[in-house]
This record gives sequence, C-alpha cells and structure tokens, in this order.
Amino acid sequence: MPPNTPMITARGLSKTFRVAEKQPGFQGTLRHLIRRRHRDVAAVSGVSFVIEAGEMVGFLGPNGAGKTTTLKMLSGLIHPTGGELSVAGFRPERRQRAFLEQITLVMGNKQQLIWDLPPLDSIRVNAAVYGIDAMETKRRISELADMLELGEELHRPVRKLSLGQRMKAELLASLLHRPRVLFLDEPTLGLDVTAQARVRDFLADYNRRFGATVLLTSHYMGDITALCERVLLIHQGQLFHDGELEALTSRLAPFRQVRLELQKAYPQAAFECYGTVESHQEHQVLLLVNRERLTETVAALLTRFPVVDLEVNDPPIEDLMRSLFSAAAVSDQA
Amino acid sequence: MTRPRSRLLAASRIARILLSTQYAYMLEYRAEIALWALSGVLPLIMLGVWQGSGAARQLGWSAEHLQHYFVAAFVVRQFSVVWLIHVFEEDVLTGKLSPFLLQPLQPLWRYFAAHLAEQATRVPFVLLMLLGLAWINPDLLWRPTLAELGLGIAALWGAFLLRFLLQALTSMLCFWSERAAALDRLLVIPYLFLSGLVAPLDTFPPAIKAFALATPFPAMVDFPARILSGQSVNLSGGFFSLLIWCLLLGPLCWWSWVRGIRRYGAMGA
Amino acid sequence: MMPHRYAATLRRFWISSLESESEYQLNLVLECLAVVGNLAGSVFVLSLLFSGQSSLGGWSWDEALVVLGLYTLLDGFTSCLLQPNLSKIVNHVQQGTLDFVLLKPIDSQFWLSLRCFSPWGCPGLIAGLILVATGLRQSGAPIQAHSLLLGGALVISGAAILYSLWFSLAALSIWFVKVWNATEVLRYTLVAGRYPVSAYPPALRLVFVFVLPVAFMTTVPSQALLGAGSWHWAAGSLLMASGSLIASRWFWRFALRHYTSASS
Repeated sequence: MPPNTPMITARGLSKTFRVAEKQPGFQGTLRHLIRRRHRDVAAVSGVSFVIEAGEMVGFLGPNGAGKTTTLKMLSGLIHPTGGELSVAGFRPERRQRAFLEQITLVMGNKQQLIWDLPPLDSIRVNAAVYGIDAMETKRRISELADMLELGEELHRPVRKLSLGQRMKAELLASLLHRPRVLFLDEPTLGLDVTAQARVRDFLADYNRRFGATVLLTSHYMGDITALCERVLLIHQGQLFHDGELEALTSRLAPFRQVRLELQKAYPQAAFECYGTVESHQEHQVLLLVNRERLTETVAALLTRFPVVDLEVNDPPIEDLMRSLFSAAAVSDQA
Repeated sequence: MTRPRSRLLAASRIARILLSTQYAYMLEYRAEIALWALSGVLPLIMLGVWQGSGAARQLGWSAEHLQHYFVAAFVVRQFSVVWLIHVFEEDVLTGKLSPFLLQPLQPLWRYFAAHLAEQATRVPFVLLMLLGLAWINPDLLWRPTLAELGLGIAALWGAFLLRFLLQALTSMLCFWSERAAALDRLLVIPYLFLSGLVAPLDTFPPAIKAFALATPFPAMVDFPARILSGQSVNLSGGFFSLLIWCLLLGPLCWWSWVRGIRRYGAMGA
Repeated sequence: MMPHRYAATLRRFWISSLESESEYQLNLVLECLAVVGNLAGSVFVLSLLFSGQSSLGGWSWDEALVVLGLYTLLDGFTSCLLQPNLSKIVNHVQQGTLDFVLLKPIDSQFWLSLRCFSPWGCPGLIAGLILVATGLRQSGAPIQAHSLLLGGALVISGAAILYSLWFSLAALSIWFVKVWNATEVLRYTLVAGRYPVSAYPPALRLVFVFVLPVAFMTTVPSQALLGAGSWHWAAGSLLMASGSLIASRWFWRFALRHYTSASS
C-alpha cells in the first residue's frame, strides 16, 4: 500500500438483500412453494467514508441499521451490491491471503474458541493457520496475555471461564497474527462493568502500541466515549453523522440521568426546579439534568434532601438514538 | 363425583392443546421429517438382499410373504421412531428443562406429545413412499383385513410406547452422565438385529430365536409387522410381552425420573 | 512454504481434537462395544442369508466377508473424519461461526473437512482390516501385490466418492439450514454397502451404481482385492472419484458465493 493512502475507503457502499416473502402457517407455506415472491431490502445504501491508518472509529446505529452488514463487507464476508471498497489496499471481497492476514473480526456474540479445550489450544491452531512459528507464537501470547491480564485462564477449558475471561481469550486468539485493521462487533456484549473497562483499556493500548486501525460497534456509549474520537452514525443504511464524538453526544444527549434514593418520600413538585422528572415513586426519583448544570444540581440535591444513594448515568444510547431518529423522521415528513 | 370428571376434562384439554401446538411446530420441520422418513429405508434395502438369497424360500417363505413382511416392517419402523434422548440431553445440558419443571405438567408428556405430532407429520410422506413402492411393483402392497389393520395398529402403538419407555429410561441417565446418548447407541444394536428389522425372526436358529423372544426387541418390529402382513402370529403372547415390558419399564422410568430431578435440582441447573 | 503451513496446521488440528476427546476415555469402551456388537450382528445376518446357500449374488461366504470388512473400514473412516467434521458445517452456518473460518488465510474446505479427528472410529478401522484379511485368506484367492495395490487404490477412491457426496450435501446447508440431516439419510442408505451389489435386484443395482454409488465403495474394491478386478470398473471408479472430488470443490465455491452475497 503506498504511503499516505487511507487505510479504509468506502465510496457509495451498498448492499441489498433479497428476501423471500412468506405468509405464516401451512397455507402460506404452500403458496410460497408454488410461487415465490421476493422483496429487495436495502441494508446499506450509498455509505461513503475514509478512515486513516491508526484511527479508532466508533460505529453507531440502532439495531438493524446496517452496522454489522457494513463490518462484514469491510472484512470481505459479504459482497457489496454496489460501490467501491478498499481496505489496507485490497478489495475485501476477494479475500486474498495477504488481506486476511492483516485484518481480524471479533464478534461479541460468536466465539471461535473450542468450548471443551483451554484457549491456548485454539490459539495454537490459529498460530499454525497464520504460519507463525513456535518461538514467535510464544512471545506474542505472553505479550498479549500481559496486556489483557490473562494468566492461568489460558490453561483452563473455555467452558469454565467467565464471560469476561472468555472475551479476553477470544481477543488474544483474534489478534495473534497482529492484524493492522480490527473490526469489532459488540466486543463488550454482556460483560460486567469491570470486564468492559478492561477490554476497552486493552483496545486503546493495542491501538497505541501497534498503530492498528480500529472500527468498532457497541451498544454501550461508554465504549465509544472511552475509545473513539470519531464516530460514524448509521441509520436505515445511510450515514447520518461522521465526525467528532463530542458534537454527537451533546447533540444526542444534552441531559444526564440522575437517580436518587431517599430516606423518605417527597412530592414530585419538590424536584421540578432541578430538572425534568422522568419518574417518581415514593423513595425513588429519576431526574433528567442538563449536562452543564450537573455538578451544581447534584450538590444542591445532596444538601437539600436526605439522600441514601445517588447515581448519574448517560441515558442508554438506544434511547438517545431513538429520540434522534424519531426527530429525524418528523423533520423528513415536514 | 364431579372432581375426577373435571380433572379428566382438564387433562384432555391439555392433551389437545399440546398435540396441536406440537403438530404446528413439526409442520415447520416437515422437510427434516421427510428426510428422516427417507432414512428409514433399511427394511426395504434388506428386502432387496433377502429376495436375492434363497434362504427364506427354504424356510417356506414365498416371495410375496417376504415382500409384505419387510414393507410392514418399514411402516412399523416409520411410526415407532423415538428421538427423545437427543432432545432431552440438550434440554438437560442447556437448562431448558428448568422452565418445564415449574409448570404443573410432567415434562415427559411434552416430549411424548411431540413424538405423536411428529408421527402425524410423517403420515403423508410415508403414504407417498408406499405409493412409490406400488408404482415400482404393485405386488409390494396388499390389502390387510380390518382385524389385521386394527390389531396391527394397536401392536404398533404398543411398540412405540415400549420404545419410548426404553429410551426414556436411558434418557434419565442424562442427569448423571454426559454420555447417555452413547449408551443409547449401544441399545440400538440389539434393536437392529434382534427386532426383526433386518431379518425375520423365523430365519434365526432356534436357540437365538428363543433368546431374542426373551428380550423386548421382537415386540418392537416383528410382532406388529407380522400382524400387518397377515402372517401367523401368537397374538396373546405378543401383546402380553408388550404389556409386561411396559409395566416393567414404566415404574423404572418414574423412579429414575424422581431421582434424576433431585440430582438436577442439587446441581443448580 | 504453503504445503508446510497446511501440514503444520493439520498437525495442530488433530492434536487439539485428540486432546479434547481424551477427556472422554469411557468412549473408547463404548465405541469398542459398538463395533463388536455391530460386527457380530452383521456377520450373524450374513450367516442367515447364507443358510442353506453357498453363494449370495454369486459371492461366496468368504468373499462376502471381504465386502463386509470394507464396509466396516469405511464406517470407521466415517466416524474418524466425515461425521465429526461435516456434521459441524451446518452448525457453523446456523451459528454464524462460518465467518471465522472464512476469515482465516487458509482454504475453507480444507478447514471444514479436516478440522477434527475423532479417534473413536479407529476400532472400526481395525476391525474392518481384520475382517478383510480373514476373508481374503479364507477365500483361497491368490494374494497378489498388484491386486492389493489396485484394491487399495479403489478403497481410497471409494472413500473419496463418499466424502464428496457427504460434503456436497453438507454444503447444501448454506441454502437450507433445515435439511441438515440429508447427510443422515446418506449414512443410512450406505448400509446397503454391507452386501455385494449383485445380491440386489437389478433395479436397485442401478441405483447403487449411479445414484448412490455404494457399489464403488465396497463391491468394486473387494473384487479387485480378490484378484477379480476388471479394468473397466477400476477406471470407472477412479474417474468417478476424481470427478466427484472436483465437483464437491466447485460446488463449495458456488455455495460460498451465494453465502457471501446473501448472508446477514
């Protein structure tokens, strides 16, 4: 790849699926057998972006927006219906050996490790497949295990590992060949908060150390805020936002959610001067507070009320986006 | 005496609903079931070999005799297939059994209903295959008398029940071992060779035939197939054998189910 | 370098599958029991077919034993390689883990066909070899180097035909996830290979030559081993084997094209 060319270029990337339409039930099946009806569904339509080497980019969008489809096109698993695509100087769908040796795809909901064996066995299989010699394999395993804080877990059967340990081992297996481009689809799915943080730290570390390009999707806004300066937001197969995360967050979530647990009950009116009351039950109050006024509001709440417990959260990204996209739909119609 | 009656009503309602939902579910898998039906062609292949050998003729079995016997065995096999252990093993290992345990219905009934529904789904495929046989050679089919048909179906259901109970017993081992399915595969071997599926019991040497008749296996194929194909058969002996084996296996199943569930609960699944 | 990488990979594949199977030593006992039981049953049925007869479809008892032995051998091969690998293809498709295989810089058919090696088929392999040797020795056919060589080649081509058929059926799962047990149908109909093809009525014989080529798996190699091989059949078998191997490869590529253009 000549220097200074971007690592990933997508121009007008599109993918349409052909789905068979079938009515439920026995009659529907019969009718389907006799005359099939198809419908074309555009999963991705005309998406363009450029990602430079070493960038970490977050890929956002509601379920079914086309994130996974795009990742699969980028990794060469799905042939695009239209548009141009170049990753590390290759056309992904040709799945040439040299291309495959430079990329990896990690899917939070699928695993490649062999269930009954310790991760080390699967990792050794990968080493053989990628043609990494024994010495080098050893060196890389210890380096990555260090970064991931994995130790004797590598010697325990996968089925006996916790979800977090399994994901870390999965990452080790996927990065053994030291890919330059990482595609991560929900890498922190289902992990608890500490495990999530560890995976995030690792990814940041890996990106720094090897200058790898990372493209990740996640349902957890925290992953994106911790890792990505730039986000691509995709909705109904189209690119909605390409740019800094800051801009997007304040656009999407000018409010934060404050959950209060009180010693005794107060009327709803008592809280209305601090923000929007989202819900109010005897001792529990959910408040939406403007970002800019968060610190002083929390301080005021603590002095004013007998607070047992207080929690500040970002509203779930799905909620944020739903509000954004319903707003978008409204403006579309207008 | 309204109580037992209302109970009966409730039970029949459960049975009806269970069967109809399972039937709808099985219809979704009709392609698989058609293939399973196809995979039951062993008796027909064996018919081919036996026709080529003079061994049966020497025992006084005419060609027609042989044909009817194996076609009947084919039908019996189709409607006495039991696959309980494969589903049950998965349900135990993945913990899918747990929600069933919370409901006021013995879970084995669910599996039993699923088997019945699968058999109902098979009917058209088996009819098609029989039609195919008739097209190849009309002599392969015959018309059984009403008595033969009634008794044959009764024996066939007995055979199915017996097979279900036997497999339910091995399935209970799933609570203790991950290898219960392997054990079941071992049980398939005597079933294959002693039930009359690959060779009529008449062709066995007397000592082996006597041994086979002391096992539950001949009641699973040989007995119903002989009735259906209109051959001489010891009716009371056959039904008695079915009854005895079911009475033996039923309580055993129940006992191991109770023990197994206790263990399943202790494992925290 | 490439063949070396494939060899190293295969070694790793099999080491890791042996390790995972070694947790279940009880299997060895069960498997041996199953092989002995099946063999005893098959020989018993064969003896029933021979009772009062001296031949079955023109084959003597000892010659028929060679056929049964080759069947047992192929069944062992099936348990060693075909069953553990090819039955997983449908799971890969269902669970989406086929993606991982496709992203590896190695031939996907190689991976899917040879990833696992189950030692539990070995008792069958050994029992089959013993039965073939017994049948050959007792049949009194002169044992010649060239007939053994030809027979061996034909056994391998029979295995290749079986593999191709099975693999292609498994590849169908890319379109029809639910028809996975088509491969089971295949396994059940292969039982016909226990007996020489000539023992069947003419119509079935045609089926076993052209539709389900069971004839090439046991009968044709047995003939060759017994020194009665005909060059016609041998050539036909080798041709069929290479043809079906090529076809399976082509079909897999075709299936993958469909998968990669349609999967979600």
